[in-house]
Amino acid sequence: MMPLLAAGSTALLHNALLVGAILFALGLVGILTRRNLIVMFLSAELMLQGISVSLVAWSRYHGDWGGHVLVIFVLTVAACEAAVALVFVLQAFSRTGRLDAAAWQALREATLSRSVDHALPESDAVPPRWPRLARAGVLPSADEDAALEREHV
Amino acid sequence: MQSLSPATLLVLVPLLPLAGAVLTLLLGRLLGSRAHLPAIAGIAAAAAVAVTLLLGTSNQVGSAHGPHAEPVRPVEMITTLWQWASVQDAYVPPEGSAAALPGTAVSSAGGAARAFTIPVALRLDPLTATLLAIITCIGLVVAVYSVGYMHHDPGYPRFFAVFSLFVFSMSMLVAASNFLVVYVFWEAVGACSYLLIGFWFTKPEAARAAKKAFLVNRVGDFGLAIATFLLWMTYGTLDFHDTLSPDGTILPGILGQTRLADAGGIVGGAVGTAICLCLLLAACGKSAQLPLHVWLPDAMEGPTPASALIHAATMVTAGIYLVARSAPLFMACPDALAAVSIVGATTALVAGLIATVQNDLKRVLAYSTISQLGYMFASLGTGTLLGFTAAIFHLVTHAFFKALLFLGAGSVMHSMGGVIDMRRFGGLRRIMPITAATFLVGSLALAGVAPFSGFFSKDEILATLHAKGWPNAHGEHHDAAPASHASLPLPLGEGRGEGAPATRLASLTRSPVAASAAVLDTPETFRVLFWMSLVTAGLTAFYTFRAVFMTFTGPTRVPEEAGHHAHESPPVMALPLIILAVPSAIAGWWLFNSQWLAHFLTATPSFSAPAVTATAVPHAFHMDLAIQGTLAAAIGIVIAAIGHLGRRSDGPQMERFLGPLQTFFANRCYIDQLYAGLIVRPLEGLALVAALFDRFVIDGLVNGVARLPAALGGVVRRLQTGLLQRYALAGVMGVLAIVFVLAWRLRG
Repeated sequence: MMPLLAAGSTALLHNALLVGAILFALGLVGILTRRNLIVMFLSAELMLQGISVSLVAWSRYHGDWGGHVLVIFVLTVAACEAAVALVFVLQAFSRTGRLDAAAWQALREATLSRSVDHALPESDAVPPRWPRLARAGVLPSADEDAALEREHV
Repeated sequence: MQSLSPATLLVLVPLLPLAGAVLTLLLGRLLGSRAHLPAIAGIAAAAAVAVTLLLGTSNQVGSAHGPHAEPVRPVEMITTLWQWASVQDAYVPPEGSAAALPGTAVSSAGGAARAFTIPVALRLDPLTATLLAIITCIGLVVAVYSVGYMHHDPGYPRFFAVFSLFVFSMSMLVAASNFLVVYVFWEAVGACSYLLIGFWFTKPEAARAAKKAFLVNRVGDFGLAIATFLLWMTYGTLDFHDTLSPDGTILPGILGQTRLADAGGIVGGAVGTAICLCLLLAACGKSAQLPLHVWLPDAMEGPTPASALIHAATMVTAGIYLVARSAPLFMACPDALAAVSIVGATTALVAGLIATVQNDLKRVLAYSTISQLGYMFASLGTGTLLGFTAAIFHLVTHAFFKALLFLGAGSVMHSMGGVIDMRRFGGLRRIMPITAATFLVGSLALAGVAPFSGFFSKDEILATLHAKGWPNAHGEHHDAAPASHASLPLPLGEGRGEGAPATRLASLTRSPVAASAAVLDTPETFRVLFWMSLVTAGLTAFYTFRAVFMTFTGPTRVPEEAGHHAHESPPVMALPLIILAVPSAIAGWWLFNSQWLAHFLTATPSFSAPAVTATAVPHAFHMDLAIQGTLAAAIGIVIAAIGHLGRRSDGPQMERFLGPLQTFFANRCYIDQLYAGLIVRPLEGLALVAALFDRFVIDGLVNGVARLPAALGGVVRRLQTGLLQRYALAGVMGVLAIVFVLAWRLRG
């Protein structure tokens, strides 16, 4: 029989829980704030990792294997979820060509108007004019076949 | 018919027209132009049954054997159909109240609780039998006439359905033996009258007239309702007849023989006068007396057969019936009696004056009806047996000749294409001889020319008024102050007696005025009323023959609306005219000579009360009164002839002499305008306020409540932005809220 893990101290528990909470909070804020679908997914994974850390911490504290087992479950589920989620992201991208969550506003109420991006103040600034050098070297050949290749999936 | 008991026959009289009405309602569209068949069959059968009942009751009463006939025993038969209301232990009559008649077994059980029962009971007595026969027979004649008159009307089935319903309601009214049942059918005839006046409801004047008739009648019905309440408070029952309580004691009805046989059975004084005045108000409403007469002239907007039946012969006589039936109640209150006479005679005079300047033939007849009903009330108010029987006699003869006159006017209107303004046609006796002849017969009866029927009945009315005005003129010594107000013997009345009930109630039921001679019931009053009636007789003759001359004499003029209609009416309309002309001519002479009606009516329980029979006088024909009446009629006819006979029949001639009075009477004494300003305008203003309140406050509230979910929805709708992360944020906030609540609960 494997020996039980030594019951951890309270201070260790608190610190580990804090780390887990920070990870969870960061993931939560990321989901709510970021517009890039991949990054949103990333943040979701971050939340899951935060939970995993908390579970391990509790399991260590109580000195039994239950939390660890649950973490293995969580990791498995996260993997499956990743597969499904990325399929959705790819589909969303192939429809609209953009990874922006705000692109899918058509399901809003008919009376509401579209949320549009306001230009950031610094983008009003005049872009710097860089000096332009004269062309040098040989012009690369234009490959017609290559021109037909789509850039995105 | 012999195998059927009188009770069954009595129930059949209203039931058959009701069945006719129901059948017409159900099958009217199907029957089309034959829709009159169920109604006429019902009314004809009812007429046959009513005449049978009349003959049977007459046999029971026995015949008059001259002036010294044996005293007539009252004849009545009660049949109870079902108990409409029956509340046990409804109230406890106080000791000594009229609800507990002293001398009967009830008074000893003064503390016992009485039940409130309203039986739907019908009665058969001479008064009811007479009126049932009149209603059904004249109803039948007018219904036959209507087959021709309403021939092309799209509402043909509806007319006969309502007509038949009216005959049913009126029959039940005169046959009912309970004040509440009378009230129900009082309203029912008012409703049928509304439906018939407003028959052509798409015409605004007709709709307005129907509404006016119903509302004015409603004022009278209010009087009847108050009277009913007071009657129940005073007498503890609403039945006319005596009933048996479950424990075998007799519960005396208001007009039952037990109560009438007792000298103190009827309550007088303030309470009694209040009851009688409320009954008078009801009668004024229904019988179009001052001040509630305003609906009858406008009611001429309805079809002429409806006017003939309802506003000449039957419905307007409901008021007369009510007062006649309540004769014992009125006899205990001489001031109320005199008020009846005063109202009647005044109405007769005013209506006669207004009729002299009317140019519309039907309006003349309408005011004539009001005037003749005034005569009947004047006669009822004299409080003598002769007065009561003369009023019913006049009712009978008036029913005949007034229905005849209205049907004749309808015949004229039918031929003239709907024109009834007398100035626009003339000399119609050449193209409508039957109508002209029968109309002349009816006019002679109305004017009171001997030997037509109106002469005799009007003569009897003048005789009773004369006898009250000059009590010793013809040697009669009947008490001008009958036992009614000599001294009211018992402290009667209601009231939860604390203190000294006798003295306190006595002050209610014995007014100090009644202790002495009555204020209104004096010979001087009746002298004035007599002269007013005599003048009215002259006026009656004048305006009647003015109408006859303007319509039927002179050069023949036909308005262009007549088209090809300007000929005599078809037999289905002319035959009823002839049928009605016969009794108009001879009924009066026959009834007067044989005294059959007077003798027959004395067997009515209401008229066999001692207070009434004490005023009986032997039958005599007073030549001086006959001469005065005939002279008045002759003067009227002569003046009418001077003004309107022959070549002068085309316009108002005599009225020029009246000057400003002519406009006054032509505008109906401005009574309508007075009511419009005093009553109608304020009510319209009130209605406007109510309408505005309804539209803005109540509808505003309701609409506001309806707008609330929409507003809420509008607020919540703004959450659905389509932005994915906002939705996630909402979820997170929810979770946070739950966590906080849990943490708060688990703190400490």
